[in-house]
Amino acid sequence: MALTRRQFLKWAGATGVGAVVFNGCTVPDQEVRVQSSLSMPEDLVTGRDNYYATTAQLSSGSEGLLVRVMEGRAKKVEGNPDFPLNTGKHGARAEGLLQALYHPDRLREPLAKVGKGGPFRRISWAQALARLQEIVGGVESGSMLIATPPIRGALAGVVTRFADATGSRTAGFDPLGQQPLYRAVSDLFNQQVLPEFDIGNSRYIVSFGADFLGTWLAPTHFMRGYDKFRNVNGYRGYLVQVDSRMSATTAVADEWVYVNPGTEGLLAMAMAHVIISERLDRNGSPDAYTGGGDASRIDDFRPGRVADAIGMPVARIERLARTFASSDYQPAMAMGGGSAGAHTNGTDNLRAILSLNYLVGSAGAPGGIILNPATRNRRIEAAPLRDWVSELEQMRSGETKVLLVRDANLLHHLPGELDAAGALSEVETIVSFSSFLDETTNAADLVLPCHTPLEEWGSDTPEPGPGYTTVGFQQPVVRRFRNTLAFGDILLQVGRELEHAEHLPWATMRDAVRAEASELHAAGKGSVSAPTFEEFWKASLERGGWWDQADVVSTRPRARSVARNVREPGFAGDTHSYPFHLIPFEPHGIGMNDAHLPWMQSVPDPLTTVAWQTWVEVNPQTAKHLNIAQQDVVLVEASNGRTIRAPVYINPSTPPNVVAVPFGQGHAQYTSVAAGRGANVFDILVPNEDADTGAFAWASTRVRLHKTNRRQKLASLEGIYPAEQLDDQPIILIHTPGKTSSNGHG
Amino acid sequence: MRNATFIKIAVPLVGLSAAVVALLVAWFFLSAWWSQPPAVLGFNEGPVQPIAFPHTVHVQQAGIDCQFCHRTVSTDEAASIPAVEQCLFCHDFGKIDGSLAPDPEVAQAEIAKLTDAFHGSLAGDPPAPIDWARVHRLPDHVQFVHEPHITAGLTCSTCHGDVASMEVVKQVRNLKMRDCVDCHRDLNAPTDCATCHY
Repeated sequence: MALTRRQFLKWAGATGVGAVVFNGCTVPDQEVRVQSSLSMPEDLVTGRDNYYATTAQLSSGSEGLLVRVMEGRAKKVEGNPDFPLNTGKHGARAEGLLQALYHPDRLREPLAKVGKGGPFRRISWAQALARLQEIVGGVESGSMLIATPPIRGALAGVVTRFADATGSRTAGFDPLGQQPLYRAVSDLFNQQVLPEFDIGNSRYIVSFGADFLGTWLAPTHFMRGYDKFRNVNGYRGYLVQVDSRMSATTAVADEWVYVNPGTEGLLAMAMAHVIISERLDRNGSPDAYTGGGDASRIDDFRPGRVADAIGMPVARIERLARTFASSDYQPAMAMGGGSAGAHTNGTDNLRAILSLNYLVGSAGAPGGIILNPATRNRRIEAAPLRDWVSELEQMRSGETKVLLVRDANLLHHLPGELDAAGALSEVETIVSFSSFLDETTNAADLVLPCHTPLEEWGSDTPEPGPGYTTVGFQQPVVRRFRNTLAFGDILLQVGRELEHAEHLPWATMRDAVRAEASELHAAGKGSVSAPTFEEFWKASLERGGWWDQADVVSTRPRARSVARNVREPGFAGDTHSYPFHLIPFEPHGIGMNDAHLPWMQSVPDPLTTVAWQTWVEVNPQTAKHLNIAQQDVVLVEASNGRTIRAPVYINPSTPPNVVAVPFGQGHAQYTSVAAGRGANVFDILVPNEDADTGAFAWASTRVRLHKTNRRQKLASLEGIYPAEQLDDQPIILIHTPGKTSSNGHG
Repeated sequence: MRNATFIKIAVPLVGLSAAVVALLVAWFFLSAWWSQPPAVLGFNEGPVQPIAFPHTVHVQQAGIDCQFCHRTVSTDEAASIPAVEQCLFCHDFGKIDGSLAPDPEVAQAEIAKLTDAFHGSLAGDPPAPIDWARVHRLPDHVQFVHEPHITAGLTCSTCHGDVASMEVVKQVRNLKMRDCVDCHRDLNAPTDCATCHY
């Protein structure tokens, strides 16, 4: 059949119309599909939130926290308004607990090394616990060491009992150690716990090296006091900061007194000399200094004799002493710590500084140093560097066969000169209980990942306490996020399997905490009272702890052993070859241990605004002399020949004979956030020790700088926005003692 | 003659059969048009989904509330299909990998599709959203907002049936205009045209 032209057009038209009609009748594809996007919309909020109270032993002090939990996930950390230490506020490191919980590099299951030094392979918890049991069960008494940070509360009870049961030693590891402070407090006030520094009720504070608004001991707690200190009944307290480096506390102080590093105690003695010789003392305690005579007994510390060593004029020493003891500024308090205690004469310094409180009647008095009641619970205190040196020796000699290490990064935080890596390599078996693969954990043979603080049970007697007995309870606010176990639970389980039940009476950490709570309930006093234990338990957890404001130290300490002498500080390196004092400092965000948390890395240093890296603070004159410009990379060489590299931050507030470098960075391992970032100051610090306690004198190293031909950009906020002087709000206020901010400037 | 008889019988028979078939087809189309397709030849089954998601396991066994996944049902027009990330709350981080299912291999294969969609597959496919087949669909000229219905206290099963016991979700009510209007009248809800047609 021939197809005519007409027929072709008909068929073509009909096909076209049909195609249009039938296609039009089908449902469009997008109508029959519904797409689920990959990521959750950020603004979608459903469900109800719950707040759980808990406590965390942070490197920046103990804080009572309320954690907002939605749908089983911890979302936000807030301060617990009830908790005596932080009363509703919290520090950045408490906020960082969330990132530790959800960290993508957090260990997800136990790891075991294939052979010594081999790669890690994943194993089950059953295998891991069996392996641990075999290791602990097979070790001779005395040849196992348990290294932890200083711990308190129920966990300390479990660890020390486990150590007793297995015949092992415990050693607390705190890179900066506070042993000189503990020793000074013990010598002066006969107390084994740190006192409360009653900043809030004080009117005049001389703080020697203690960056109490930055990183020293418990800054959140001290800031609560500082808030009151600046605003008591319209009176504005006056703060003098004595320091060889400008810290955050120095920056807000009314006066910064520069002293040569290590001479803080000398200044305190010179002040005591002025107060005694001019009879400015307030309660007759000069006898303790002079033995009943006049100031001639401490005449070696006459301002005229020591002013040069200290590096400040005689007149200023006298003025400082007179103001400190003046009736216009009482109660006045002297507090000390930080770099002032980190010299070879650290204990001498702190003893001399704290002794000043006896002269103005602030020892054991409001607005001064208030003693904390002794704790009955077991604690693991930080061992001084001297002990760690001997522990490393025992490792090298093979006496220590097993090392159990929990969050104590020995390989990163011990001075490089001590060759901790070499010592650890001699240990037969290392077991790490860390949640993250830090340097020490990477050297372990068996890794048992543990809970983060938001997932576990615990309790704490905060140090320093608020002046009365306080116990914080820690409860899991979320279920475990990874396949981890609590450190305490592992020890209890292994102890039970090894038939040490008589030493370890509890099945779980929760039982251990409940046992502590039941003792408090039995005492029948304090902030929570309930007829039955279960009600007491519930109410204490809801409130975040238990405290008894009536349980205080009512007797005032007696001035028996005030400082009568201060030795000279010793430094590693001669002043000619190594012209600069290296003053390392703890950075605000990452502190010593939080370099793996991006939020903490992002916290800018309050003075330089630098974040995410290590920098070297250098005085402009020094920089000019060495022909160094901002962001030039310098080689910092210590007297032991060890070096680190970091870019320079030219800081007008850095004294010419000082270079300052923050701790915290320079990790080779410890998650992708921390690894390969900045430099580790511990590598070059000379392991000098405090003469009295053997504590690490981390501020006693001298260094020299070498310019390199490299530059590195500083990650800082400074200079992005220009500072503007507003007419009605002057940037700089100048105050004189006792004046308020409204009438003080001019 | 025999031929004529055959024609007399056969033609009406064929005609009648054709009429019955035509009526059945007409009934099928009309019921599908006015209500839902009759439950024959699989026409009433729910669509096949790209990933088998058994509501039985998630609602009955795991005890998950409808609103945990369909998050905007009480606040928005659509009940919303959860983002893949939300599935991974349990199936990735939580390590619910299907190994405890009665048929672990099938379950693990289906969950693997989910994790592949989110993270990208080992074969190199990039992360991609999941195109689920729509089960409930209203005509374009109808506006249906979930929020007032949930606020008024209706449960999900009022319209969607007992989804908790469905292995594969299917439509159980016809959801035609009459269905809506009947319910609105029974519950004294507005029946103005503009309630739904605006």
